[in-house]
Order: sequence, then structure tokens, then C-alpha cells
Amino acid sequence: MEKPAPLGYGLGLRPVYYDEILSSRPPVDWFEIISENYMLAGGKPLAMLDRIRADYPVVMHGVSMSLASTDPLNFDYLRQLQALAERVQPAWISDHVAWTGVHGVTLHDLLPIPYTRESLAHIVERILRVQDFLKRRLVVENASTYVSFVDSEMSEHEFVREMAERADCLLLLDVNNVFVSSFNHGFDPIAFIDGVPAERVVQFHMAGHTNNETHRVDTHDQPVCDEVWALYEHARRRCGDVSAMIERDDNYPPLSELLDELQHMRDIDARIANERALSAA
Amino acid sequence: MKLADFQSLFQERVLAGSGEADKPLLKKLRLSPRGATPETLLDVYQTGYRIRLADFVSQDHPGLRAILGDETFETLVDDYIDWRPSCEPNARFFTTRLPDFMRENSPWRDDARAVSLALFERAMVDAFDAPDKTPLAVQALADFTPEDWPRLAFDFDPSLTLLELAAGTVRAYDAAINEEEAEKVDAPTAGDQVEYAAVWRVDHESAYRQLEPDEYVALCEARAGHAFGDICQITAFQQSGEITPERLAQCLSSWFEDGMIIGVRVRDDHSSNTPSSA
Repeated sequence: MEKPAPLGYGLGLRPVYYDEILSSRPPVDWFEIISENYMLAGGKPLAMLDRIRADYPVVMHGVSMSLASTDPLNFDYLRQLQALAERVQPAWISDHVAWTGVHGVTLHDLLPIPYTRESLAHIVERILRVQDFLKRRLVVENASTYVSFVDSEMSEHEFVREMAERADCLLLLDVNNVFVSSFNHGFDPIAFIDGVPAERVVQFHMAGHTNNETHRVDTHDQPVCDEVWALYEHARRRCGDVSAMIERDDNYPPLSELLDELQHMRDIDARIANERALSAA
Repeated sequence: MKLADFQSLFQERVLAGSGEADKPLLKKLRLSPRGATPETLLDVYQTGYRIRLADFVSQDHPGLRAILGDETFETLVDDYIDWRPSCEPNARFFTTRLPDFMRENSPWRDDARAVSLALFERAMVDAFDAPDKTPLAVQALADFTPEDWPRLAFDFDPSLTLLELAAGTVRAYDAAINEEEAEKVDAPTAGDQVEYAAVWRVDHESAYRQLEPDEYVALCEARAGHAFGDICQITAFQQSGEITPERLAQCLSSWFEDGMIIGVRVRDDHSSNTPSSA
């Protein structure tokens, strides 16, 4: 399996941190942008991105490709995405196993689907068309979900595995999303991580969420919790050297707190590497 | 149920909330192992949609919130979200039609001061991510002979918007962004009095300033492509007093200084599309 080279430890690039990133050049190996926030005619976001891109690798992460929607693919959107990619030269482009609306409407959310043969054939066909258009392999992420459906014919990880293999795409494993969905639907998160094809995983997302007791919501406004760190360690042991990052989209802390979370990631990975070295010796 | 039918049902639930129409959808949901009701879980999507859009409206319209007050502003936002669903891949463009919505719908269309402030704040947001162009310095005029001057025409930064507003709009915006106490700020007047403003972008930030009536007319004409020599004559027809060449030169100087001008060309008498000379 040919995959992009691992980038190390990254952060989601958010406007609140532009000035500090440019002035202090923090020890971050790469940044992930939300593609739609830079699909603009001009202005400050693009200017900041150009400056940061000059010093750091960047990957493009979209939220509007609507891969599972039954609306036609939006080629205006894809053309804008392609133009941004030509400017940014990202290491890869990602989006989600989700839909964002039908009948021309956009709900600005990553909406769930029943995991059926019909859904699978539909999303595979669309990923293939997107990959043909962008002339690159797409990286596709598992989303957090709050409802599941009696019509589903397979588990989420079975769906993701078959989707990736049939579309020959790569995967972004969002460890927090695995945890949130496993809590909400009562499946085993370890079985999910063990079930996805590790050789196709090129990126981990780590983030915080909100615990509403009867359900958890993927809010990206909290530090990563202990259960998700434990799951990260399992994912790292299984998937090996994969680019990993922290997402934060609200309740922004000082940048140093996100850098501490990256360091925690590095410490876990160093411990795993030491254990492996000792067992090999 | 086919995927397309499921998605239509689900979307309707997000847009319209719970009701009779979502019964077929509820039958398709698995029970939560944690005891959350189906309505609670579907509400995560419905409230998420509304909160996200409301956040964008709030970010773009701090002045409108300040003059309307929190409660009325939230009613406006709710009405706007209910008016038409978002169709933009980028949620930040959902707010674009708020001034149109306010002008077209009761009771908002009756509040001229609020509509005026919405228009002004819309222009500020539009300026922020308009296409990038490099402003010209006033020294660019040195490339032209005195004989060229009457036929000089100017190209303006694409971020530039010229606005006729209810009097007091700019002051109300200033007060809102400086977080002055609401009771100390005069709201824009609801009567016939107007003021003029230019909104554009300088060094990656939106900028604005009020314009005198003669400068507003001159700037409108200059941006329409009329030559320097023609603007004086045109303005004479459009207002009681003619703008003098000296006053127009003063305005021109400030447009350069403000970074509004991106091109200067000698306008051919036979064509308005003479190639740029600077």
C-alpha cells in the first residue's frame, strides 16, 4: 500500500492562533486546514495560510464534500477545492463518511447514514469519481454519530473497511469519533480500531467532546479525555507511524495547552517505541 | 427505505423539528443503549444546525445585536434561519442575505436603522475576503502628462462598497465594536436623513470611513469608470453644487492614500476599455 510519508505531530490551523504561530514558530510538525475556510477570493485567511505554508507542511480537511449525499456531486465545490490544492500543495485531502444535505440544502453537519449495501455502493462510486476529478487518492474519516439505524446491514467499521478497499482510498481515523460513537451506540471501540484496515490509515484525529451522560457530542471544545488517550495508544500500536494531530474548534485555550497535548502524544509514542525496542532486544 | 428517502426525511427533521412528519424516521432508529430518547438524539442535529448558523450571524453583526438588544436580535436570527435553509458549502456565507431578508420581511423591513446597520456590516464582511489587489500610490499619477488628466479614469479595489445609510449608522457601529454602553449610543435615525460611507480592505482588515455627499457622488462616478474631467460635470447635475476640480483632486488624493485605487488609465474618447497605463 503506497501512502504519503508520515508528517509527525500536527494541529488544526485556526485564526485565533495565526499571530502566535507566525511570531513564535511553535514546535508543530504540520497543520491541517479546514478547506472551506480558505476557499475564498482573497483576504487575510489566504494570506496567513500562504505565510504558514511557507514554513510547515499542510493537509486539507473538508467538511462539505457530502460523499454520502444522494444529491449530485458538487463540481463547483470540487473545482474550488482543486484550485485551493494547487495553491497549498497539501500532503493530502480529506473529508468524511457523511452527508451534509440534499435538495441543494447544506446543514453544515456531518450527518449519519444507515450502513447498508446501497449506502456502501453509493459512497464508493462517489469517492472514485472524486478521486478521478482530483487526480489523487482521497483520505476519508469516520464521523461521530448520535443515532443509528435498524436498516444497517453491517457495523460501521465493516462499512469503513469495505468502502476503503473498494474505493482504494486512504483513511483518517478519528479516535475521538470512534469513542463518541461507541459510547452512543454501545459498540466496542477497540473492535472498531482493530477492524479498520491499518495499512490505509494515514492520519489520526484527536479531540475533546461533551459528555451529556446519556450521549456524548463531538464538540472539539475540551481537552482530550483519558478514555480517548487510552484508545489513541491502542490505535498507535495497531497502525504504527501515522500522522497525528489535535483538533480544537471552540473554547480555545492558550496555544501552549495544545502543544502540551501534542507532547503527551509524543510521550505515549516514545513509550511504545521503547517497549518495542526492549521486546526486540 | 431508499437512501434518498431516508436523507429527505432526516433533513426535514433537522429543518422543521419534531412532529408528525418524522414518525417514519423514528421507526428507523435503534434504541439508545444509554437511555437517550430518539427525540433527544435527533435534537443534537437540529440544535447544532441552528446554533452554528446563529453563531455566524452574531459574528458578522455585532452592531445589529447592540442596537436591537439580545432578545430581539435572537428573534431576528431565528426568523432568518427559518426563512430559507443554507445552501452554501461554507457556512460563513449563510449570512450574506440577511439585509435582503430584513428589507423584504415584516417586521424587520419597518426598522430602517436596523436594515441600514445590517447593510453596513454586510459590506464589512464582504470586504474581508474580497479578491486581492495591490493598491497604487499617488506617485502613479506622475506617469501622466497634464494633458492626460481630464481623461484619467481609475480602477478601484474590488473590496470597495459605497453605501447610502440612515444617518448615525456608522456611529452606532463604532459604539458597538468599542462596546460602549447601549444607552449612551444614539441609534441611527429612522427618518429621511442619510449619511454616506465607503467600506473597503486595507492590509487584510476591513476599513471604513464616512463620506461627504459630494465625495460620495464623485466616488460613485469614478468607480463607474468616468474620467476625471467628466466627473465635475456629472456631479453638477446630481446635486445642487458642482464639485470643483480642486475638491475632486483632494478627494482623489485621499482615495490613493486610503488604498482604494488599484489602476489608472487614460480613457480613450472612443472606448472606455483603453488598456491601463499604470
